[in-house]
Amino acid sequence: MDVDQMQRRFADYTASLFREGFLDDQFTQLQQLQDESNPDFVVEVVSLFFEDSERLLNDLGKALDQQIVDFKKVDAHVHQLKGSSSSIGAQRVKNACIAFRNFCEMQNTEGCLRCLQQVKQEYFLVKNKLESLFRLEQQILAAGGSNPMME
Amino acid sequence: MLPTSSSSSSSSVLLQVPALQLKVSEKSMAENTERAPSVSFGVSPTQNRPTGFCLRRFCNQLCGCLSKESKNLPPCRKHIQKGEVQEDEFPYPSAQCLSSYYSVFVARLAIMVMLAILIGMLTILTWHFTTVYTTKSINSLAYDLRFELLQRPILRMWNILNSTAEITNAQVKLSEYVIRRYDKTVTQPQQIEMYEVMRNVTWALFASRKALNAITISYRNGFVQAFHRDHRSNNTFYIYSDLVNASITGTHMLNDLSTDHGWNDPSANGNISAIWYREPLDPVTGESTGRPRTIPPDDLINIAGLSEVPDGVASWHVAVSKFIDSPLLSAALPVWDSSNKSIVAVVGVTTALYSVGQLMRELVEFHSGYMYLTSQEGYLLATSTNAPLLRNSTTGPELMMAVDSEDHVIRLGAEWLQSTYGNKFYPNQEVHVENVKLGHQKYYIDSFFLKLKRLPMVGVIIIPRRYIMGKVDERAFKTLVTLISASVCILVVGCLCILILTNGVSKEMKLRAELISHLDARRRAEASSNYKSQFLANMSHELRTPMAAVIGLLDILICDDCLTNEQYTTVTQIRKCSNALLGLLNNILDLSKVESGKLVLEEAEFDLGRELEGLVDMFSVQRINHNVETVLDLSDDMPKVVQGDSARVVQIFTNLISNSIKFTSSGHIILRGWCERPNTFSDTMKLPLDQKESSSALKTKLKQHGNHEMRTSKKDNRIVLWFEVDDTGCGIDPSKWESVFESFEQADPSTTRTYGGTGLGLCIVRTLVNKMGGEIKVVKKNNPGTLMQLYLVLSTPVDGTRQQCSIDFSRHGLMVLLALNANMGRVIMSQWLRKNRVHTWEASEWNELTQIIREVFQASSTTPRNGFMTQCSTSETLRYEELKTHHVRSSSIIIVVDVGLLDLSTDIWKEQIKFLDKYHGKAKFAWVLNHDTSNAVKMELQRKGHLMMVKPLYKAKMVHILEAVIKERAFELQQESPNASRAPQGDLHECLEIDPIHFDVASSDDSDTFETGSFNSRRGVLQIGETSREEIITQDHKNLNNRLSEFSQNYSKNKNIENPRQIWQTSCDIEDSTCTSTYNRKASGLPELEVENSRWSGQNHRDSTKAIDGQKSLKGLCILLAEDTPVLQRVATIMLQKMGASVVAVGDGQQAVDALKCKLDAEKYRSSESPFWDGNTRFQTLLQECPLFDLILMDCQMPKMDGYEATKAIRNYEAGTGSHIPIVALTAHAMSSDEAKCLEVGMDAYLTKPIDCKLMISTILSLTKRMA
Repeated sequence: MDVDQMQRRFADYTASLFREGFLDDQFTQLQQLQDESNPDFVVEVVSLFFEDSERLLNDLGKALDQQIVDFKKVDAHVHQLKGSSSSIGAQRVKNACIAFRNFCEMQNTEGCLRCLQQVKQEYFLVKNKLESLFRLEQQILAAGGSNPMME
Repeated sequence: MLPTSSSSSSSSVLLQVPALQLKVSEKSMAENTERAPSVSFGVSPTQNRPTGFCLRRFCNQLCGCLSKESKNLPPCRKHIQKGEVQEDEFPYPSAQCLSSYYSVFVARLAIMVMLAILIGMLTILTWHFTTVYTTKSINSLAYDLRFELLQRPILRMWNILNSTAEITNAQVKLSEYVIRRYDKTVTQPQQIEMYEVMRNVTWALFASRKALNAITISYRNGFVQAFHRDHRSNNTFYIYSDLVNASITGTHMLNDLSTDHGWNDPSANGNISAIWYREPLDPVTGESTGRPRTIPPDDLINIAGLSEVPDGVASWHVAVSKFIDSPLLSAALPVWDSSNKSIVAVVGVTTALYSVGQLMRELVEFHSGYMYLTSQEGYLLATSTNAPLLRNSTTGPELMMAVDSEDHVIRLGAEWLQSTYGNKFYPNQEVHVENVKLGHQKYYIDSFFLKLKRLPMVGVIIIPRRYIMGKVDERAFKTLVTLISASVCILVVGCLCILILTNGVSKEMKLRAELISHLDARRRAEASSNYKSQFLANMSHELRTPMAAVIGLLDILICDDCLTNEQYTTVTQIRKCSNALLGLLNNILDLSKVESGKLVLEEAEFDLGRELEGLVDMFSVQRINHNVETVLDLSDDMPKVVQGDSARVVQIFTNLISNSIKFTSSGHIILRGWCERPNTFSDTMKLPLDQKESSSALKTKLKQHGNHEMRTSKKDNRIVLWFEVDDTGCGIDPSKWESVFESFEQADPSTTRTYGGTGLGLCIVRTLVNKMGGEIKVVKKNNPGTLMQLYLVLSTPVDGTRQQCSIDFSRHGLMVLLALNANMGRVIMSQWLRKNRVHTWEASEWNELTQIIREVFQASSTTPRNGFMTQCSTSETLRYEELKTHHVRSSSIIIVVDVGLLDLSTDIWKEQIKFLDKYHGKAKFAWVLNHDTSNAVKMELQRKGHLMMVKPLYKAKMVHILEAVIKERAFELQQESPNASRAPQGDLHECLEIDPIHFDVASSDDSDTFETGSFNSRRGVLQIGETSREEIITQDHKNLNNRLSEFSQNYSKNKNIENPRQIWQTSCDIEDSTCTSTYNRKASGLPELEVENSRWSGQNHRDSTKAIDGQKSLKGLCILLAEDTPVLQRVATIMLQKMGASVVAVGDGQQAVDALKCKLDAEKYRSSESPFWDGNTRFQTLLQECPLFDLILMDCQMPKMDGYEATKAIRNYEAGTGSHIPIVALTAHAMSSDEAKCLEVGMDAYLTKPIDCKLMISTILSLTKRMA
């Protein structure tokens, strides 16, 4: 495939991600931060986010499975998830987290479970999107193109 | 609460009323029956009246309430119409009012009832005590009286009986004596003689007793002799029978007693045949006054005969006669013969009971009432009335029964007695009855039984009650009436009083209810205003985040290469607008923070002078394009260090100065400051000269605030700092002097269009100033422009030393030539210098400068003339004198030259510099540069080894210059005298190039050690200035390291060093604004080296790719990042590194604290051991790379130890050392309460996630600068 074409596809895809609200300007900032000294910065951070989020989602699932739900703990987890998702600009995950926290404050277990599902869904969605984005990037790089994110 | 109380009190009233009735009934039972009605009368008004009264009042109240309520309704409707949410609150107060009315009413009722009861009881008791005892005593007196009254007629009766008995006895005895004398005589004459004697004797007795009605002697022979007194005609008669029959009877007399019955009734039967004669007598002498006449037998008086003494003992009876209308008491006694065997005659004595009646009448006349005596059978014997006692019947007059008496009262009394006690009076039975109703009146009836043998009698006295008790009753009645009327009056008055009083109370309660509702409304209003502020605060906080994003994105866009010029300008403008908007938001946030009371001023020591200098520096950069001069004029007595919120103080002046700048197009802006100790008013005299005009106004102000200041002076370390911001702008109309401090208020609406702005700045200033215990106002000014005067009450540290000029410049004989084109700054500076006894000249332009220079150096005759003409003014001759006396040395002359004096438009400036350079050995040159002074000039000056400063020139900078000169001279002297073979002088001068920073270091407390210890290193730097820089970097690495160790040493000793370094760094940035470096920082972990390197190697890398000045703004900073979320950690790290900072990232609070501790400890080692202190672990190497953290970015929510805890721990750890590492909170919480919490635990600033790059940088920069 032509590198230019791939570059364009990459740009389109990124734009669609922004348009659909999966990502926000925070992701742009991430991309800005990536330079020669940290060529894989975005991928690094995002994969960190994936690891972290999966751990947190696991913990959340466990915490909500308990007979007596420790909402403080749940809240802390969600808070963390919200922080990391907002840092990479995963807007929809962040929004879901905000709703989640509201339910936590109300100590509404049912609502929390529903939100957890939603957060998970959003998370996997954004994960897929980002992974495909990175794949595309890899392809560009493999095809000999420059790193699209650094431009 | 109110309704319940009212219901309870009303129920208590309800309980009280039956209780009252109960009490009354008890009382009436306890009282006598006769008093009961009066008691009930006494109580009834208290019982009935108030209740009726109260009911009426209740109705009135209710009506009043209803009408009030209806009156209240319209306004509340109005309020509702206004559309507020207060719909449900307005009926509430009125309901409250209603309930309060009820409670007032009930209280009123209760008080009235109590009063009524009290007064009623008082009345009753008074009446009782006044009446009952008198009644009792009078009753007993009346009883005695009645008894006495009755006793007296009875005594009289007794007397009459006695006297009758005596007379009878005496007559009997005399008769016996006479008859016995003539017992034997049987002859006629003798008998006549005897009768004559008897007549005389009888007359004597009869005459002696006027009360006697008649004395009769009837002889056995039938002869009767009688004396009779007719009381009606007052005639006395002698009545006798004829002797013819007497003889017959005389024979009869000698007969046996068996014939006694023959004259059983001589008057009636036996002597029918006898002829009776009556002879009127003279009542006194007894002489016959007329002829005896025969009288018919029925005219005879009652003559006692033998029949009346059948058993020979005395007999009594009551008789009647037709001659007298009263009953007669007649007694009969027989006269026995000498042998006591036969009765020779019977003596009868008749006494009228008339006198008893008379006595009774007299008594009754005197005492009123009725009396009567009856026989046991009930026949009236005597009455006190004139009613006849006898009645005429067919058989003549006979006695009447008492019940038949014609007298009404007596009859009724007798009838009552009869009906009550029957006919029979038993012996000893006495009747004492009070209040018997006879007819229409009440009477006392008393009766006595008089027990006489043969004639028992009953006395009855009937006295009308009115006579005895009439007065008492009347008095009692009057008393009662008086008491009742008095009590009623009191009750009415009392009720009125209560009404009036409670009216007042109810009014008060109404007012209070209104007040409460008003307070409530006000509280709500305040709350809503608070909500508004809160909302504003939150909103602006929320708005700032997107704004920051906008600005950040704009920055990115600006950096973009592919923008056309047009786009670039547009974006730049957007950027400017965004900045303005952000500033506005910040203002609103500040204001609302202050208004909602969230703003808490921190109490930390800070260097006020340095802050203000920094401020002036900043503004002079902004204003340098314009024709405006920014001058800082702080008096020497200002304390160096004060306690307060430095950020807020700076904000005050930022706002004021920016405000002034906005409205000042040419002229100057002076920030004056002086300190006022409350007890030394003479301080005002130390004001700068040009302030004299305001000093008078100031004095009045001082007087105004005298009290206030005296109060503040109680705390000894409180000081009042006065400031003035004086500009030459368009000024403010005096009428607006107050209102400019209001929110959204500007002096002139028209200026808004010209200058823009929201009018929030001054409002914030005033709130802040007020919060710091000060005041701000606009003061009158002679020149155009505005003069704002304010004072702040700040505290100084307890051990605050006030010394400002540690060095006495006068001792060094310094002379300063100020060649500055900024008028105001020059004048102020020279004034200050003169005050410190430093000689000054002033020059405002190049020609003046050269002239003065020539004059000076000619005068000291150390300088060749150079062919210039000297033009001495008269004033300058004086200077020569001074100079001569001073033994001027060339090195003690300092020439401060403004770059602006040079003609930079052409190349003349080089000539000018050359000219000045001629005097280089004789004088020290210090140049005041502009920010935009071109590099060529700078380079040139640098090469000449001149001292350089950036505008504006203020006191601290001047002090630096002076101190530098003094030090250098001292060094020079040292060099010259003991060791003349040291480096040439030129080199030494170059050390001045190192800028104020080094002087600042030198001025720190261990300047001496620095002076000696770092001399080498400084020399090394000098050499750097001389020789090629590239070489030096590699060559003189040792030297640099040496220097570094010096620096770090000083760091640990004095943190203040960081500030000049910062200034230096920024000035470097300005200088090298075009040159950037992509120098790899990681190669060298030592920021100082890096700074040096970047500066000098900058020229080599001038061709490197795009990079913005700001992006490396964190250059040289070492930041500790505590963040648990790996994603965030990574992002933040990269961000910071991009900005040129070195970052050490840790995962939680505990690690952060450990790292810091380790670092501080390591620092200690470092200072003692080798500078290349290496460790094994990565952490340690990291630590090693950064000499000391400049700042900590702290996430708030972390495992193990959260940000708050960690901050507390760090602050605790720092507590002893006196250092203060800035900590910036990173939090995803966007609420201002979190900010407060962050600041509370000791953090210095607060950033929200996601991290905004610009905001972070500005925060970090402000903190590192501030903390330095």
